[in-house]
Amino acid sequence: MPPSHLLKGDPAHPPRVDRMIQLFHVTKYYEGCLALSDISVRIEKGECVLLTGPSGAGKTTLLKLIFGSEHPDDGQILVQNRNIARLRRADVPYHRRTMGFVLQDFKLLPHRNVFENVALPLIIRGLSSFESRRKVIEALRAVGMEHKQTTQASVLSAGEQQRACIARAIVNSPIILLADEPTGNLDPHLTMEIAELFKAINARGTTVMMATHNQQVVEQLNGRILRLDSGHLLSDQGASA
Amino acid sequence: MSLRTHQASTLIGIITTAFTLTSFGTFLLLYHNVHNLIGRVQQNIQIIVYPKDDIQPQMLQDLKQVIQADPAIESLTLTSKKDALNDFKHQFPDEAYLLEGLGESPFPASLVLNLANTIPSTDRVSNLVNRLQQNPHVERVRYNRDWIERLTLIITYMEIGALIIGGVLALASITIIANTVQLAFYTRQEEIEILRLIGGTNLFISIPYMIEGAVIGGLGSGIALSFLRGGFELFQHKIHTLNVIGGFSSVFEFFPLSFSLLLIIGGILLGCVGTFTSMYGWMRFRL
Repeated sequence: MPPSHLLKGDPAHPPRVDRMIQLFHVTKYYEGCLALSDISVRIEKGECVLLTGPSGAGKTTLLKLIFGSEHPDDGQILVQNRNIARLRRADVPYHRRTMGFVLQDFKLLPHRNVFENVALPLIIRGLSSFESRRKVIEALRAVGMEHKQTTQASVLSAGEQQRACIARAIVNSPIILLADEPTGNLDPHLTMEIAELFKAINARGTTVMMATHNQQVVEQLNGRILRLDSGHLLSDQGASA
Repeated sequence: MSLRTHQASTLIGIITTAFTLTSFGTFLLLYHNVHNLIGRVQQNIQIIVYPKDDIQPQMLQDLKQVIQADPAIESLTLTSKKDALNDFKHQFPDEAYLLEGLGESPFPASLVLNLANTIPSTDRVSNLVNRLQQNPHVERVRYNRDWIERLTLIITYMEIGALIIGGVLALASITIIANTVQLAFYTRQEEIEILRLIGGTNLFISIPYMIEGAVIGGLGSGIALSFLRGGFELFQHKIHTLNVIGGFSSVFEFFPLSFSLLLIIGGILLGCVGTFTSMYGWMRFRL
């Protein structure tokens, strides 16, 4: 169990803001099958964490738990000192707005152009069009897609689609960026480009947590490696002290 | 997310709604007109009250007022003994000589009652007749009991039939439209997933789809109403041209404006409710 002050917000023991994600004995089952078993991890602000392991190891489940798409069957998850396991259903969208999520299969609105796709999180937050425009251009510039802003998403190449997704994930300036096999559909050259983007985003202080199979990406990002297998945490390499 | 980006499914939704509501509307229009027709026939039901022969004119006026006060009576016509004689002479001028020399008119005075414009029932008419017969100034009451019983039976069967057929058609319409809206919704699941991924609340996500459902339902019912109006006008034109049912052609009428508006509102509500149930049924199991 986490210390009580983390769950209740005890003013006598203010939470440490540099602890971005904390998992305490997290267990998750899917229809009786074990997906994650007794996982305890602490991720600090600005860390770059790579979740590795074979298919079915529990990498995606771990990301989903942090994102609030799933509830743990046991244990506690604190994201920015907020207990996700106790999050009310109505609060989940607000929790998601504090982080970005990049998926393998892009998830862009095909009938919308790049600008509109990237601006969506800002529309949801109700930002003014002037402020939205500024932030979208900034995010597109960060991923090198400024010149494609009027292009319809459906005509973009795979690499461009993933760049647009990354721009959408960072447009809200999230403190945490989650990515589930973001290079899974890309060739080696594009994989390196995307990995480089994540490295740059992490260098700006964003906590990055990425699930990947790709050894090249692991080497290029040179972050902390959490190795999972059959729901168990096998190793934790490069954890900060 | 707009109707334009999903033209095909939106169009299918509108067309399905339009055809389903046209079928249901055709039944309602038929029922509405048959009901009107029976109402006309019902207006022809008459009860004739014969006052006592020795009734004084003032008492006859009092009797007339008492009967007229009954809510079951729509209108009342008094025919005096003299009027009855004149009517006979007018209708049978060749036989008028038979009555010469009789002095006072041999015909009784009568009060012809027309029933109020509500569904007649044998019981209600019998009650009315009993009430009239108990009046001390009334000699006898005459009415066509068989005809009223038959009409009551026809109306009862028609109402039961309409309730069953209407219920089945309404249920079928609701099911078809709800499924159409649900299909349209499934084509948008990917969009909804994306909106949830970036922190869209259920309300934020639902509103555009509810509006879309309302537009599909509203346009569908509007088109259905236009089909029905067009079909009705064509039917009336044919009847006038062929003169098949003579004077009865004027009996047919289209839905009143209030009912037409109700049909459109019903379509809009169906679209909204269909989308709402589809969305929440789907979202309920997802965080």
